[in-house]
Amino acid sequence: MSTAKESGRLQLRDADRELLRRYHELGDESARDALVERHMPLVRSLARRYAGRGEPLEDIEQVGAIGLIKAIDRFDLEREVVLATYATPNVVGEIKRHFRDKGWAIRVPRALQEMNAKMSATIDRLTSTLGRSPSIGEIAESLQATPEEVLEAMEVGSAYTTLSLSAPVGEDAADPLEVIGKEDEGFEHSEDREVLAPALARLPQREREILRMRFEEGLPQTQIAEQVGLSQMHVSRLIRRSLMAMREELD
Amino acid sequence: MPEPDQISFEAPLEAAFGPVVRLIVGGIAERADFGFEAMDDLQLAVERLLVEAGSDGNVKLSFELRGDGIRTRVGPLRERGIAEALQDSEDKPGTLDLQRILSTVVDSYGVEQAADGHIVVRLEKLRGVAL
Repeated sequence: MSTAKESGRLQLRDADRELLRRYHELGDESARDALVERHMPLVRSLARRYAGRGEPLEDIEQVGAIGLIKAIDRFDLEREVVLATYATPNVVGEIKRHFRDKGWAIRVPRALQEMNAKMSATIDRLTSTLGRSPSIGEIAESLQATPEEVLEAMEVGSAYTTLSLSAPVGEDAADPLEVIGKEDEGFEHSEDREVLAPALARLPQREREILRMRFEEGLPQTQIAEQVGLSQMHVSRLIRRSLMAMREELD
Repeated sequence: MPEPDQISFEAPLEAAFGPVVRLIVGGIAERADFGFEAMDDLQLAVERLLVEAGSDGNVKLSFELRGDGIRTRVGPLRERGIAEALQDSEDKPGTLDLQRILSTVVDSYGVEQAADGHIVVRLEKLRGVAL
């Protein structure tokens, strides 16, 4: 064991602790930046383990860096642990969560993901200009793509496996529409309420209201979308996810 | 070349194949000139039916492209509960079961008896009308 090497390591550790102290006790942001920079090689080496899964390495490194920053923020100066040791599970956890959240969509080519992003607005615009629901061919023409590409792009991110009854997902997270609808209306009054009500009740209120509009009032998606201020595609996804979540709850 | 008027395929009931079936149903609806909304309705109807059919084995799906829409047949299915749920004519306001979902998203549906006590569910979805 080389003593020089060991003392080098100790110096690094002390330098980390000093930076952590400056950041935590004095709020010195530049100390945090320095810590991030010093530990990016660790993030890069961890990110490389997850390369080749359909996600560019730089993107995985970015996600890993978020894990590193969280570790720096949460680091407890009282603890006798070096930052690298403490940060490693945080970085790996962040990367794993990222892959898990993206589900199968991570293997979808970027072009399809970009098309998916434009899809909602395109459908709503065409519905409004045509005065009816556009065909896939019309959507494809507008996006300069083939119908098959449009269908594939529609599926991107539509996987409902990540939906939990209690946790809103992605674009659904912010819910400015909580106020619509009334608590004790619709399906909750059903004869099967003992079976259905708990699953339904666990859905966010907006989802309950959308299900009520669709399956009780029989309103078409376009009208629901207009009333709740969401795109048709978003309404379609919320309906599918809600039904799936309720079914899983009943099982 | 004349357009094929019938498409059939078999898929595993396993949930992982759900998106694949959706994609194919979408492609068929596109060939039948369905609008986005009608396509989405048919996809949802098939999806809900398959979920109720369990997750074991395979299921056959056939699609008849008719002048005004698509007739879909799903089955033979072993799940007798589906037949009972769909044949139950009692009106149950406020419930959100398969019957309620199908009657909302397709124009009509029915249950056909198949061999060995199995059933086939028939879904009729029209191309849709202008808004």
